[in-house]
Amino acid sequence: MNWREFQAKQRVMEIGERFVSYIDEGSGDPLVLLHGIPTWGYLWRDLIPSFSGNRRVLIPDLLGFGYSDRSDRFDRSIARQAEMIDAWLEKLGVERASLAAHDIGGGVALRLAVFFPKRVTRLSVMNTVCYDSWPIEAMLQFGHPETYRKLSASTALTLLKKALKQGFASKPSNELMDGLLAPYSTEVGKLSLIRNAAALNTNLTTEITGLLPRIRIPTRIIWGEDDRFQAVKYGERLAWDIPGAELVRIKDARHFVMIDKPEEVSPHLMS
Amino acid sequence: MRLSKPKPIAESDAKGEVERVYHEITQVLRVSGINLNFRTWAGYGQFLPVMWDAIRANLETRIFEDAADQIRAEAVRMAAQLGRVDVGSRLSLGESQSYQIKKALDLYHYINPKLLVLTSAVRLALIGQQFSGATQIDFDLIERGVPAHMYPMEMVSDKPDDELVKNTFKDIRRTLSLPSINSDYRTLALWPDYLATGWSGLKPIIQRDEYRQATDELRATAGKLALTLPYAIDISMEKIKEIGENEEVLEKTESFETLLPGLIINIALLEFGWHSPEALSCSPFPAERRQDAREAIGR
Repeated sequence: MNWREFQAKQRVMEIGERFVSYIDEGSGDPLVLLHGIPTWGYLWRDLIPSFSGNRRVLIPDLLGFGYSDRSDRFDRSIARQAEMIDAWLEKLGVERASLAAHDIGGGVALRLAVFFPKRVTRLSVMNTVCYDSWPIEAMLQFGHPETYRKLSASTALTLLKKALKQGFASKPSNELMDGLLAPYSTEVGKLSLIRNAAALNTNLTTEITGLLPRIRIPTRIIWGEDDRFQAVKYGERLAWDIPGAELVRIKDARHFVMIDKPEEVSPHLMS
Repeated sequence: MRLSKPKPIAESDAKGEVERVYHEITQVLRVSGINLNFRTWAGYGQFLPVMWDAIRANLETRIFEDAADQIRAEAVRMAAQLGRVDVGSRLSLGESQSYQIKKALDLYHYINPKLLVLTSAVRLALIGQQFSGATQIDFDLIERGVPAHMYPMEMVSDKPDDELVKNTFKDIRRTLSLPSINSDYRTLALWPDYLATGWSGLKPIIQRDEYRQATDELRATAGKLALTLPYAIDISMEKIKEIGENEEVLEKTESFETLLPGLIINIALLEFGWHSPEALSCSPFPAERRQDAREAIGR
């Protein structure tokens, strides 16, 4: 599925003054998949068929990402994103859902598990941001307001593509790479991604360090061991802090573990 | 003397006075981006800041907002008589795509009538026309700021890679004799199939005599309404020559004034895919009356 076909499947919901685009496929127990930065829901395209036979798969684009609202006038922090996901599920009539999340989507999922515990039945986080593991240097630089003036959209796209490739142990197809970055190929898209990067805030995960031991739901921490952006030591720490959490190490995989090793990751999200 | 042809200045390239004016444009006109008119005027040295500072007081008045509302309503009435552009039955759009196209159309349905009245006023001022001449100092003002639900003015590159968009732009430029592709079409090109289908529906209408007549009428109405603006606009050609510019800015202004009525009608025709003519006659982003600071904080 190319990114335009994926986009054509997206539904939309207004949450207050903002709007969220999302995929809603299949039926069964709801499973919410959350992407990270600088991607969008398209990240999960190859995993959807394996779930949609027996799960209701819900894949939102976080605010400021993909084809959700990208206007330049709202907070994109993971705290706000968690509130948005809670409101979105409420409006969808989904009382409880399993969460599977990657990168900053993992930060959103951890906050949901901590602050909205009744909403979450199971938690799977993949190479997630946590504690003080983030923001990475490149994203800190990208989030500087001057980036908007210094880099054209096409230059920014070239640099992002180069940086993103370091997140894969495998060789991602051009179709996938172009699709992952498509929403950020315009000046508005570039600015939105800059604002998303500017919203990356360590305090929003260090704030919940003391609350992680209170998470009381089945939790799986999945980690591409060779990740250059989020070191596996943080996965080990999370597995120690969250009661009963299981750490699954995936060999020969980097940050985008679900793309490097979909056949190994997918069963862990199913069970 | 300028050695090269002036180039439009993109928002991300704006510096100094142009950057200041671009910010004020979004706040005063209540719009999420900078249209081609302003980007083009910005290419003419000091012209944009001088023109903007001369006209801005008018743009904050209810009189200006009402004039634009009148243009919009008239354009909808005219468009309804011209027929329908049937995109819906020829194209299957996703729910989110459809929602976002509608929001993008609403953005231009709101701003284009304002641009037309403004552009007419600029042209009239440049040729030395006198405005209504305010007998009072205070007029009702509207609140500044981009409406919360307004879609961002996102645009594809004017030199797109996508073949369908490239060919559609080529046809639009040829049909309308455009030097540059307007923001509206560059925004709709975010959905290439929609732009191509919409354009193929618009094109036969655009070539009809009734369409030309409608655009002429709309332009004439805008000229009349521009003359009702309450404050003098001091941008005579003499002043323009003092800042090192010449008749070319007047020619550019005239070309935008010629182009905008068609754009307004085209957007109305596309909007019929989502709204009734009655609903479209109203402003998609009604402007509130500006409160003074004491009123706003409830004292």
